[in-house]
Amino acid sequence: MPSDSVIPSSFRDPSGFVFTHEGIVYRQVNLSYKAEYDRLMESGCYSSLVQKGWLLPHEELNNSISHTHEGYITLRPEQLPFISFPYEWSFDMLKDAALLTLSIQKECIHHGMVLKDATPYNIQWHKGKPVFIDSLSFATYDEAEPWVAYRQFCESFAAPLLLMHHKKYPLHPLFLAWPDGIPLPLTRSLLPFKTRFSLHTYLHIHLHAKMSGGNKPASGNKTARFSKQKMLNLISSLETMIAKLQLAPQKSTWSGYYDEAAQRDDYLPAKKALVQDWISKLTSIHTAIDLGANDGAFSRLLASQQIFTIAADFDPFCINHLYQAIKTEKLSGIHPLVMDLSNPSPAIGPYKGERDSFIQRTHTDLGLALALIHHLAIGKNIPFHKIAALMAAACHTLIIEFVPKADEKVKLMLQGREDIFTDYHEAAFENAFSAYFTIVEKAPVAQSGRTLYLMQKNAD
Amino acid sequence: MHILLYIDPGSGSYLVQIIAAAALGVAFFFRNIKNYIKALFTRSDKKPKDNPPV
Repeated sequence: MPSDSVIPSSFRDPSGFVFTHEGIVYRQVNLSYKAEYDRLMESGCYSSLVQKGWLLPHEELNNSISHTHEGYITLRPEQLPFISFPYEWSFDMLKDAALLTLSIQKECIHHGMVLKDATPYNIQWHKGKPVFIDSLSFATYDEAEPWVAYRQFCESFAAPLLLMHHKKYPLHPLFLAWPDGIPLPLTRSLLPFKTRFSLHTYLHIHLHAKMSGGNKPASGNKTARFSKQKMLNLISSLETMIAKLQLAPQKSTWSGYYDEAAQRDDYLPAKKALVQDWISKLTSIHTAIDLGANDGAFSRLLASQQIFTIAADFDPFCINHLYQAIKTEKLSGIHPLVMDLSNPSPAIGPYKGERDSFIQRTHTDLGLALALIHHLAIGKNIPFHKIAALMAAACHTLIIEFVPKADEKVKLMLQGREDIFTDYHEAAFENAFSAYFTIVEKAPVAQSGRTLYLMQKNAD
Repeated sequence: MHILLYIDPGSGSYLVQIIAAAALGVAFFFRNIKNYIKALFTRSDKKPKDNPPV
């Protein structure tokens, strides 16, 4: 098996690895993990978690594809259309991932197993819900031992959620600085003083941070025994603490955008009708990315046509709002994503990158970039050709809206600053995008002065 | 412990769990008594606490 087909994010766990073969993702279970894997399958733990929709189901293959000598069994997990990471999630997405991890830990304990790690990277989003994907994270439970992944849980779930709750600010980019979780002493120093008087926060963060100092070996205390009830109390305490957390609602830059936009004559209905008309003419569109999705009005339109849609926006409040709507309305075809296109998530980790960049992960049939171009070109000073290259990397077919300088929103953006954008006009826009795309259709959006383009990516 | 420790559980993290579990044992003991007394005077139409998170 070529080593470059092994997905680099699975290098940390010696129990097995994830690899791709002919476009399908597989997981190899190594012989060293045989006993634990068999226990997961035979104890009823796997079937119970899958039945609840908490664990991604897999099928066991009779033949090994990887042909490595340490292999025990090859699994073909249910395939996910998109992989995202916690630095791209909104507050409630991280909170639900945390609560799911705790629920799985409790369920495992009832089946004589335990989670040996508790990281948000083990959770992905499938059909609108969080799902645990790492079938190698389960170990045999020894009641006398505390939870091996407790610190990891506190650093990578509890710490960022508590900080966001108390600071009233979305802090998901902290995961880029500390991919393995926010250090507890730092969290402790940033949390308000009053949090010391909350029993759960005091125990899991303040006391934990204080006791984490020094170089004592982790398992040095062999005299004190743990118990199943103590473990369940610990999980229950973490659950109680996290369930109460919320991101204080704020009037963000873009919340209410569509209410405002709807008042502009027949702008929105005309745009919706155009997009719908073009999509109905397109064939073989199964996946899409809605760039600048806002509250997801157009993502919903795509999802209603059975198109799996990544709804990306740089505003974490909008995405959180969309995620809450996805939960309430049980929408299964939309993946909300917090993404700043002027600074898309980089690849992180040693050497080639443990986690792929946003650009490496995003290859959709359709891209939607509505009322976005002026924010990138004027708001962020990004030249048209760089925006075109970004779109060409993300999708094959593109529906993009051009917003002219005469538009009142652009005028508003240019207010109080020097207009250095002499090249911001339709001809330059078409010219830059023509380097990557062929313009198939072009139509004005009602009387707004804005133009909608349907483009097809040129063959490489 | 049988688990292959490929993540560092953290120095002090085991000890803090032992202390936290003891403190929580006391806290939950009194909470249960409070809930029991409360339940005597109110109708028990509460949903079970063990709901799935999502």
